[in-house]
This record gives sequence, C-alpha cells and structure tokens, in this order.
Amino acid sequence: MEYSHLQRQAAYMKKSLFDQGYLNEQFYQLEELQDEDSPNFVEDMVTSCFRDSTRLLSNIEQVLEKCPPDFGKLDTYMHKFKGNTSSIGASRVMNECTQFRECCDEENIEGCLKSFQKMKREHAVLRQKLESYFQLLRQDGPVERAARASN
Amino acid sequence: MSSQPSAGGGPHARFPAGLRVLVVDDDATCLRIVEHMLKRCDYCVTTCSRAVEALRILRENKRGFDIVLSDVYMPDMDGFKLLEHIGLEMDLPVIMMSADDGKDVVLKGVTHGAVDYLLKPVSMEALKNIWQHVIRKRRNESKELENSGSLDDSDKQKKYSDNGDSGSLGIEENWKVVKRKKEGEEEDEFEEREDASSLKKQRVVWSVDLHQQFVAAVNQLGLEKAVPKKILELMNNPALTRENVASHLQKYRLYLKRVSGPQHQGRADSAFSSASDSSFSSVPSLDVVDLQALAASGQLTPLAIMALNSGPRSFFNSNAPFVNSSKMQPAMMHRVNNNQMGLLYGPSASMDSRQMVQAQQIYRAYQNTGHQVSEGAQGLLKLPSPERTSSSFSSGLISAGSSNSFVAQMNPQRQQISLPQHQEQMQIGVQQPSRGQFLNRVVVEHDSKISSTLGQQMVSNGVSNNFLVRSGAIINGRPPLQVNYMNMPPYAVPRALYSNVQNPHVSGTVNSSVIANTFTGMKQEAITIAQRGVEQIDSINSLKEVKDIVPNYDMFSDFNQSKNQEWKLQNLNLSYESSKQVGTQLSSIDYGFSISAQRDGNGIMKEGVPRNTCAMTKEVYSMTQTAIEHEKVEFVPQESLFAAADDNYDLESIFGRQPDTNGHVEFNF
Repeated sequence: MEYSHLQRQAAYMKKSLFDQGYLNEQFYQLEELQDEDSPNFVEDMVTSCFRDSTRLLSNIEQVLEKCPPDFGKLDTYMHKFKGNTSSIGASRVMNECTQFRECCDEENIEGCLKSFQKMKREHAVLRQKLESYFQLLRQDGPVERAARASN
Repeated sequence: MSSQPSAGGGPHARFPAGLRVLVVDDDATCLRIVEHMLKRCDYCVTTCSRAVEALRILRENKRGFDIVLSDVYMPDMDGFKLLEHIGLEMDLPVIMMSADDGKDVVLKGVTHGAVDYLLKPVSMEALKNIWQHVIRKRRNESKELENSGSLDDSDKQKKYSDNGDSGSLGIEENWKVVKRKKEGEEEDEFEEREDASSLKKQRVVWSVDLHQQFVAAVNQLGLEKAVPKKILELMNNPALTRENVASHLQKYRLYLKRVSGPQHQGRADSAFSSASDSSFSSVPSLDVVDLQALAASGQLTPLAIMALNSGPRSFFNSNAPFVNSSKMQPAMMHRVNNNQMGLLYGPSASMDSRQMVQAQQIYRAYQNTGHQVSEGAQGLLKLPSPERTSSSFSSGLISAGSSNSFVAQMNPQRQQISLPQHQEQMQIGVQQPSRGQFLNRVVVEHDSKISSTLGQQMVSNGVSNNFLVRSGAIINGRPPLQVNYMNMPPYAVPRALYSNVQNPHVSGTVNSSVIANTFTGMKQEAITIAQRGVEQIDSINSLKEVKDIVPNYDMFSDFNQSKNQEWKLQNLNLSYESSKQVGTQLSSIDYGFSISAQRDGNGIMKEGVPRNTCAMTKEVYSMTQTAIEHEKVEFVPQESLFAAADDNYDLESIFGRQPDTNGHVEFNF
C-alpha cells in the first residue's frame, strides 16, 4: 500500500505516542474494532472519552477547591476518570490517576493537588496529540484511514 | 439501546454466537466499546447505562438474556447490589467490570456471586470467553435438577463416589449436588431456605419427642408416600407448619439415604444421647449413649477411616480420598461398625509430636468408650510421625459432608451408623493441603469407644460437630468427653451440626473433633484429650487456641442445659494458611457447611447469602511444620459458622442454603 506523506506522518505520530507511553495496547483494541461499519470508531471513542474525562476533571477540581476536600467524592470521581481514560488506553493519564488515588487514600491534600495538576497536564497533552493525529488521518480520507487503522 | 435480545431465548445454533448479553455501565465510552467488542464476538448485545434500567429490561425479558456485564461503580445503584438482584430474580450469570483492581473489590464481587471480574479496560480476549459462564451455570443447574429429582439411592451414591474420584472438582460438585439436591427437592423448602437465608426466621425446634412423632408419622405413611401435609396431619401439632415439616422431611430423607448405604457398617448401637436441643430434626431421637453410633454417624467414620487409611496425605487431603470412602470402607467397615469416630479432621501431615499425642489421646479416648478399635483404626490412629502431607483440606468440604452424614446418621431406628456409605456421600472436600496446611477437621475414626465418645459428644454437641464440619477446622482439640453421653439430648448432634455453632455443646464436641485432628499417632494425647473436658483443652498443646474458645465449658454437665448457651467457639481461631484457598472455601460455605464452599474444581466459590456472619477464625494446622502451628488468620466468613445460636436448629443452613446470588463466584477468573 502506498503511503502518502501524511499517512507516514500519522503512522509516525502514533508510534511515538506509544513509545512515549501516552497510549497503550488498549488503543490497538479500538483500532481493531474500526471497520467499514464504523470507520471513525477510534476517533469517536476518543472524542467521547475526552468529553467525559474533561467533565470529570472539572468535577474533581471543584471538590479540590473545598477545604478540606471530600476524599470520598474524590475517590469516586477519580475512579470514574480512570475507567474512562483507560478505555482508550491513555496510560500516562492513568498512571497519574493511580498516584492521585494514593494521595486520596492518605488524605494528602498537597499530594492530591500536585497529582491533579499533573493529571490535567497529561490529559491536555494527550488530547492535543490525538487531535493532531486524527487530523492527519482525516486528511488522508476515511477509506485510507480505516485501512491504515488496521495496520 | 442497541440490538434487542433474541426472543424466546434458546441458545443460538452457532453458540456462543448469538449469546444474549446485557451490558450496564454508566461510562458511555466504555459502554460503547464493550458493545462493539461483543458484537464482534457475534453476541447479541443490549446496553444501558443505569442499573435500574437494566433491571427493568431484565424483568421485562425474563428469559431474554444469557449473561449480564455490569460496571461496579454506578451512580444509581451499586454494581454489587445489582448483582444480587439479578442473581435473586433472574439467576443469570453476572460479570463485574471495573478499573478498580483492588483485592477487596474483587473479593466483593466473588462473595456477591459474580461469575467473573474483568478489569478495565476490557479487551476482546476477555469478552470472547464469557460464554463459558453461561454454560457452566447451566451445567450446574442441570446437575442440580438431576440430583434433586432423582430418588435413586444408588445413583446418588454413585454420583458421589464418582465425583469423589475427580478430586476437588468432584467434591465441589458433590457438594453442590448435595446442597442443591436438598434445595431442589421441594419448592417450598427452597423458598423456605431462601427465606431462611435472607431473613433468619424463627425456626422450629425439633425436639426429640417431636422428631419421634415425625418419624412415627413418616413410617406410618411410608417413606415414599410421606408428604409434609399428611405428616403434619398425623403429627397434629399446631405449632408446626407444613413448611417446617417439609424441610424436616427433606433432611430426614437425606439422612436416611446416607444411612441406608453401608448399613451394615457403623450402625449406631443406640440412639445418641439426646442432643442438647433437639434442633436437629433429622436426627432421630438418640437415646443412645453409644458414641459409636454417633461417631459412626457416617461422617466420622468414613472420614476418619479415609483419613486413617490413606495416611497423612489423605487426611483430609484430597477430596478423592474422602469421597472414595468406599475404598476405605471395606477395610474399615467392620471396624467402623461399632466405632464411633469422632469427627477428626486433621491434616495428617505434618503432625508433629503434639499432634500425635493428641491423636493418641483421642484414640485412647475412643478406646475408653469401650469399643474395640479396629486394627485399621488403630493403625490409622497410630500414624507414625506425621508426614508432611500437604493435606490441607478444605474444611468446608469435609465438614459439609460430615455434618450431613452425621446428622443423617441419627436415626433412632437405626442403631447403626453406616459410615461408609455415609462417607461416600460425604462431601469431604479435603483439598490437597497446600504445604501442609489444613483446616482442622479432625475426624477421628478409630476405636469405637472413642468414636462413641466423640459420637456422643458430637451428637450432643451437634454443634461442635457442625462446627468442625463447618469450619473444617479442628476447632478445639478437645475430644469428646467420654462421659455423659447419655445425658446428651438426642438431637445434640444435629443441632451441633446445623446450628450455629454457638452452642456450647458444640464446643465440647468440637473439642473432641479438634482432637481428632491431631489424631494421627497421637495416642497419648488423644486419650488425654478425650478424657478432658472442654476446660482441659489447655492441656492440649496443639489446641491452645481451643482454650480460648471454650474456656470453662463443662461439656457434660452443661451439655444438657447448654441449649441456650452461646457457643464459645466464637473465639476459635482457625488460621488459614492459605487464606485464599481457605477463605474462598469458607466464604462460600453455606451456612451448614462452612467450608465446602467450593463448588467446582475451579475454585469457584459459591457464595451463599451471608447468613450468620460470625468472625470465625480458624486454626489451620500447618502440616508442614513439626509442631502444630496455629496460624491465626482472621477469617470472616460470610456466614458465621458460629453464629449466635438460636436454639432452633438450622438444618437447612447446614445443608447449604442456596446462595441468593446467581451462582457461585468463580475464584479463578
């Protein structure tokens, strides 16, 4: 199959996302699910995921603003957040989640805040990268994208 | 939301294709992904994001689904609650999903009856095989029906022995079979059980007299024709309900079946002394003092025999030995015949000198009862320096069997206790002890004397018996005191067996049983133990813990009045070395048989509805150690083996109430 420049770029980008630990195996699972019937499956899932996770992040932020924060709620939100981000394989974000949860368990407010900030950052970075990635793919056209996704 | 479940529901021709799955998850992304994956597997998927909605869907399509996947954390309803509902109402297999991989959560899934627990993110591989749970469940159910429906003794026995050969899986199956059989026998009973398990309702106390009336009525009608309604009429007791009679009848039938096997063997010489509280319906009034009968009440002897015969390793070791009691039976039959085998469960392995001593004590105790110890028994008792048999048996399994059989043995009309047969049916889930860890179910099979002693004790201490059975651990190593059997109320055993082991009686028995535990080769100790009362547990090194349990319980004197006493056994510390194994077993213990929770060889635990939660710590005698090491592991079984005793006997619980959840939880996900 002929790879256009864009295609190559997209492939490279994806590879680096994996290499840098932004994404994990789960992302491949999503790609597996993409087919003719759902040609934009991966992107759809990513979009959906970021929609939910962004909302959750703001929820968490609100709880953290209170003093002292409700750790129970934090835990719940974090749990949902983790589940959510894990579904697209956002491994870096997930790692931060674990950190955050630990701080929650210890009721370490400082730690929670720090961890939260990190989480937010990772989340934003990943979002950005994936958006670029999908843009590249889109430029190549849906059919090619679907075909490529299965590579 | 998505595809509709296929109507009418039979399995798809291309099974597992077409498996009808309901997915519940409030996370939209995850829900869609799982849905997609399931569709890829050719399953028929329905999704919803709220537990309430899921229940509604399920209720509207009672037979429209094969399996449910549910998230753990959901806003409107806890996933576990949903799990329970589904198990209760629809009896479908439920798989939990969560990003949370914390052990406690996973365990919770297990205990609530989930058949599996998937970690998020869920992968295709994980979903591909969910159909196995459907098959498994159906298989189990059909087995259940098979057993409950069949009244063919030989079939059942065969089943048991067959299962026995298959090792732990067999044991579990047996167990399940037995339990389910009981459950399935009568609908009312089942309902009653359900009620019982969930409501802990007041139970009728089957006093000796009452039971005798019952038996008389049954005999008058003829066992085959005896139906609760008619029995009730004959008995003419306003306090009884048809349900009471029905459940009692079921137990009685089971008991008879057990006894009717190796009839020639192990017949109780006499009725067992009256149990403290005749809460054991299935135990006919025992006016016997003969411990033999008691001990021989199947459970003990076969177990003991097996244990003895097979040596350390087999000591509660594997299910096979136990289940294959037939093997032992011939050899031991004659011995067992009048032997009262105390319930000795004991990992023969790693019996250290203390254990040996204890075993000996027990042995002697038995001897004192005036029964001749059969050679075999003796031999068994004299187990040479305990080998390290990794026979840690799942106490639950053993006990379950034992208790069952034990009670069954109590047949006033039968002097003999057919142990062997009993054995066979005993679902002694003795698992291969891992590293010599074993729950203490000491089954002392030996000298009839001892056995009778124990038996009586057991009987009278029904609870203790039960205790042992339940916990599968040797609770206290006090051998049943030889004396005062006569004083024991006839239904002691049953009660002991089935009641919450809080009955002090039990403790007495337990003690003895515990002692049995150590019994291999511990003659001296055994005797000592046997001769000691509960209070004397202290003297038993290996049974130190027992001391705590029944500090000053004068078994004999209190026996008769101990009906309402709380079991001091609550303090028993049973330590499980392998908490997991034990734990799972324990937790899955049905009320009656605490330990034999394992349903099948996969370590599937069937978590019954938590009935009597009692923190029962069990002692696990490590087999690998020279000394009896007591690892005290706090085990909090779902059901307390030693729940607060209500005087009503709780045979059903013992017989294993059905878990409310949809089934067993597979431990090996």
